[in-house]
Amino acid sequence: MPILQVQQLSKRFGKIAALDDVSFAVQPGEVLGLIGPNGAGKSTLFDCLAGLLPHDGGRVLGPQLRPAVPADLLFYVPDGIVPWPEQPLRWVLDFGVGFFGGVAGQRDEVVAELDLTNFLDQPLGALSKGQRKRGLLALGLLAPQPLLLIDEPLDGLDLRQMRDVAGVLRKHAAAGRTLFLSIHQIGDAARFCDRFVLLSGGQVRGEGTIAELAAVARARHPERAFTDLEEVFLALT
Amino acid sequence: MRSPNAAAWLWLLRKEWRELLVSRSGWMLLVLMGPLTGASFIAAMRSYAEISGVNGGLAGVGEAMAPLIGVWAPTFSACELAAVFLLPFVAIRMVGADRQSGALKLELQRNISPFARMGAKVAVALAGWLIAMLPPASALLLWKSYGGTLYAPELLTLAGGHVLNAALTIALGAAAAAVTEHPSTAAIATLGVTVGTWMIHYFAALQGGLWERAAAFTPAAIIGDFQHGLLRLNAVLVAVLLTLAGLAIAAIWQRLGVRTWRRGAASLLVTFGAAVAIFGAAQVRPSWDLSESRGNSFPAADEQALRGLREPLKIVAHLAPEDPRRTDLERSAFGKLRRLMPNLEIEYQSATSTGLFEQSNAGYGEIWYLYQGRQQMSRVTTADGVLESIYEIAQVQLPGDVPETVFRGHPLAVLPAGASTVFYGLWPGLTLLSGILIRRQLQQSPR
Repeated sequence: MPILQVQQLSKRFGKIAALDDVSFAVQPGEVLGLIGPNGAGKSTLFDCLAGLLPHDGGRVLGPQLRPAVPADLLFYVPDGIVPWPEQPLRWVLDFGVGFFGGVAGQRDEVVAELDLTNFLDQPLGALSKGQRKRGLLALGLLAPQPLLLIDEPLDGLDLRQMRDVAGVLRKHAAAGRTLFLSIHQIGDAARFCDRFVLLSGGQVRGEGTIAELAAVARARHPERAFTDLEEVFLALT
Repeated sequence: MRSPNAAAWLWLLRKEWRELLVSRSGWMLLVLMGPLTGASFIAAMRSYAEISGVNGGLAGVGEAMAPLIGVWAPTFSACELAAVFLLPFVAIRMVGADRQSGALKLELQRNISPFARMGAKVAVALAGWLIAMLPPASALLLWKSYGGTLYAPELLTLAGGHVLNAALTIALGAAAAAVTEHPSTAAIATLGVTVGTWMIHYFAALQGGLWERAAAFTPAAIIGDFQHGLLRLNAVLVAVLLTLAGLAIAAIWQRLGVRTWRRGAASLLVTFGAAVAIFGAAQVRPSWDLSESRGNSFPAADEQALRGLREPLKIVAHLAPEDPRRTDLERSAFGKLRRLMPNLEIEYQSATSTGLFEQSNAGYGEIWYLYQGRQQMSRVTTADGVLESIYEIAQVQLPGDVPETVFRGHPLAVLPAGASTVFYGLWPGLTLLSGILIRRQLQQSPR
């Protein structure tokens, strides 16, 4: 039974269809990658799922196929935000735990996992892009909701940080957390997501594991061999 | 044990407080309050001292001097200036910064009422405003140290009026910041509303009528009443309703997940509801003269006699809106009459706004009194003249001399020694230092 099911979701900005009949499902405990180029509608989709943007049509269902209550079901970490920039990271995380109802005892563990110990007393706005991104990931991981949506979790991270963060996210997924990650770098996504939703031009072009998506691509282009996600994505979009 | 929502709200309150303490705009407001208050207080004190007889003035001239009018109204006018030109930016920052930084997207994910969110902001902003009122409050201590006397009811009325005005300003700034996308647009919108209220006064002065009635409920007019120690229930209710409407609109527009047209419709509903409520509140009559001088009231014997007039009294004054005699009449008599007599109708008639070219017209300048089918004309615009006409037409005997405590004023022939040091040096210096230390501490420490 999916933890989240999206059915025929649509969103328009004037004449532009940002999301067009988008349907897919998120399974509990998986790491689902939302793959698409810039402007594909990834952030719009996440905003709609989190209830921060009204959608024009379609349904978002939670467990037992009941209408989803975003605040109970999911927590969304948007990309490109610098919330409470003058507050130190330690306070931001404490606020996150207190305000959103997370588990205070996990703070130190998450901070250590994301290598943030040395930045706890720095204002969030004074941190580098990568440090800030990890700070916001910590905020998300401390939130109590079972499903975590993260927009571009790897943006601003160097190679080593990317691997470390990927490891942390996988660890939390293994512990039962469901992760839905929007990633525009397909190679990065392929490394640590279980399944993928391919989004392009506001439409879902495919959903499944790499093998499942490659099979769909092969059916459309029998003359070509598909060995990685990038080629599959290009073939399906 | 606290409910989850109550606990979340307390976290919001803490967050807003910390955000205010690290905001430069908040500290800038606090720093500037010192010199603003100082300039007003020192100038007022010097004038007051001169009239009271310092430097060889005529002794006794200052006997009618009321500290409320002579010193406290101008001193606390620093609050009015700050509320118009500084406080809106603090309020706009409080609301707009969340949207600009993206914090709003995170905070909205907690299932907490947008009205509760806005409530936390207002509570903190008002607490900040109370701190900003410390310079005028410290002027009271200086005045006391000079040997001046204080009359608590009128001072509390004055301070309360400025708190009410601040709440209105905060609500306006919050609504503007929530409705517009960018803080600079919100700032322009807020100043636009302020300029709009000035235009209402302008039209009221030119055209009278409905403009004049509307002008009685602008922040400047409401503050004007408080500055005279007059507490009008209808003005308080209108200010509270406007504040609540502004905050409701701010809360509505913070709900990013709701369609724009729905938010617009909800705002219109709030505006309509507020307009109806304000219309009703404006009809409320009770008011209290809390000034020590009782400058907003007739002598007690006259008030008793006027309350005895049960039939409708109509007064028709042939005076143009800009005629200074009309202003005199309002201040010295009509304003006081309105507070006392529920069956009073006052009508102004004129063909022009200035009255300059009507002076030669027959009937211009006449004030007609109509009571129980009788009518009488007078041209006197003083309080005594008006009362005399009313008693004559109502066939009521003039109240005899009733012994009562006459306000003799509190002259104080003392120059404001040390005030410059306090307001231009100590306050800005200490505030600046506190700002630097507190910001540094908060940005490094979680507590």
